[in-house]
Amino acid sequence: MTAFLHAMSIAQFANALALASLLTILASGLALIFGLRDVMNFAHGAMFMLGAYLAYTISGLFNFWAALAIVPMLLALFGVALEYSVIRPLQNRSQMDVALVTFGLALILSQLVIKIWGTAPLSLPAPASLAGSIDLFGRPYPSYRIFLMVVGFGTCAALAGWLKYTRSGMHVRAVSQHPAVARILGVNTDRLGLLIVCMGSGLAGLAGVLAGPYLSVDPALGASILINCLIVVVIGGLGSIGGAMAAAVAYGLIQVLGSLLSPTLAVMAPYLLLLFVLLWRPQGFGRGRVG
Amino acid sequence: MGALQGLAADRRMTPQTAKARSAGVLKTVAVAGALIVLGLFAPMAIKSPYYLGLLINAILLAISAVSIGFLAQQSGLMMFGAAAFTGGATYLYAIAITRFGWGVMAASAFALLASTLFCVLIGALIVRARPLPFAMLTLALAQMLRSIVLITDFRPLTGGDDGLALSFEGAFFGFSQAQLSKPEGFWPVAWLALCGVLALAWAVGRSRTGKVLRAIKANEERMRFSGFDTYTPRVLAFTLAGFIAAVSGLLTGLYTAFASPELLDFSTGGNALVSTLIGGVGTVGGPALGALLFVVGQDQFGGAGNLELLTGIGVVLVIFVFPNGVMGFIRSGVARLGAPVRRAQHGDDHAAR
Repeated sequence: MTAFLHAMSIAQFANALALASLLTILASGLALIFGLRDVMNFAHGAMFMLGAYLAYTISGLFNFWAALAIVPMLLALFGVALEYSVIRPLQNRSQMDVALVTFGLALILSQLVIKIWGTAPLSLPAPASLAGSIDLFGRPYPSYRIFLMVVGFGTCAALAGWLKYTRSGMHVRAVSQHPAVARILGVNTDRLGLLIVCMGSGLAGLAGVLAGPYLSVDPALGASILINCLIVVVIGGLGSIGGAMAAAVAYGLIQVLGSLLSPTLAVMAPYLLLLFVLLWRPQGFGRGRVG
Repeated sequence: MGALQGLAADRRMTPQTAKARSAGVLKTVAVAGALIVLGLFAPMAIKSPYYLGLLINAILLAISAVSIGFLAQQSGLMMFGAAAFTGGATYLYAIAITRFGWGVMAASAFALLASTLFCVLIGALIVRARPLPFAMLTLALAQMLRSIVLITDFRPLTGGDDGLALSFEGAFFGFSQAQLSKPEGFWPVAWLALCGVLALAWAVGRSRTGKVLRAIKANEERMRFSGFDTYTPRVLAFTLAGFIAAVSGLLTGLYTAFASPELLDFSTGGNALVSTLIGGVGTVGGPALGALLFVVGQDQFGGAGNLELLTGIGVVLVIFVFPNGVMGFIRSGVARLGAPVRRAQHGDDHAAR
């Protein structure tokens, strides 16, 4: 136990939170889209990657802060296109068909990215004000990661607040719990759906920008994070936004803890957890709908 | 519904219809046998090793596409991570050859048996899942195997990033590694494997198990109430699909003499899935046709790096416009041409029931 505590330093804990904050943003977007639209968006990882690449270009043209403002908006526009060109026309098709289309979209997006930016990993430097490190309980820690956590969890807190305390947020929760009932009670699910797809895509863009200086920007970014995101969303309970957030934090902790105790276990743990949840507790650990 | 009626019809099949049916089967078998024999001589017609190699790649892809298509058609479940079973078999074979030092026959048998056993275990756990969670689970399985292969602790066994280069001593049904690595030498093996796999999928689809499976797909609850075991047939279907995928993986190992982590990639399973979708899941042959189209497309457009772009567009287009794939499109075209005749036959069929 003491060895364990020794290994689990503050820095490692902070790393877990940094990873978790990225996953939280992505997973809550994915969970929102699934909750409102019943679409498992396999293109979410690719959208995240697109966001990172756009951030690379825009921060080259202007600076990082401009990218942080512009990229989520661009991705939100992409979300509008997604809603009108894919989700609405395929509204009456099976979940699987739509999932397959988004899978195709993921392939298209990753290839477009390779065509424009090439396959070599790019590095997006952190802005000068965040490039150094700060003192974290006596140890130096990269300040960008602190910034990442603050923005990540801040965004999630804002999102949670919106969902909990506003009228439109209440409508979103209602629709993701009982779409038909919410519609009968006069919620405009189409308009809400558009808003949510837009927001989910924008969040993927935001995560992309934030990930730029933290991870290296390469075309494989999308596929690897997509699986993690799917796992987080499923564990949190499909369609449950709060569950997704909690699961993302747990996931980050498991990753970091596992990599200290046993790398093999760290690799296996999320998948085993996924298996367990999907088979024995399909509603997840949150209050999600059965997928 | 239709499948249930079919089951009922099966029980009270009159001798005449049975006779007519067996005659039809005989005819089909004769035609298929002739095609199989003709196919063996393909290397004589296609002299260029390049195009023959291309066809072999198509066959390897086709076998895994048939596996996905079989499961989709019989159980309505889409394997997103077929790479887990193809790549898994390749790795098992490679490990048996390089690490255990086994002969090629033993290693091949081991790869097929172990993957099939693995499929029984996985299938027993995951066939209960609904289609979407099922898709995610198989995708996660492939990703998990990929991560395991890359773990540094397992490097002595799996070769990590570098993969495993392997070359067997001795002979695989009389072929040496040097022969099998050449397209014209490998052709008979690949062709016969494809034919075998197609025949297997077709036979199971036509069997009573196939009917029960499709009835479960249509309405699981009703089948359960009607007293059918709805679990075992689905595990069986999954195992068979996994076995077919393992055949493809084993052939890949025999042909390329290499196992690399890319075999377990998201996109490797994606290629097979895309082929299946393009070909259409309604028939046994559809996915194979899709794989052929995919490989030809890869050859024509892949050079410019457009492949994934095109496959992506292909998938989107297929889902939007031809939900039954190319084979479905062809069949509906044929059906439209022969519509009056068919409708009359169909009417008779109903009257007979």
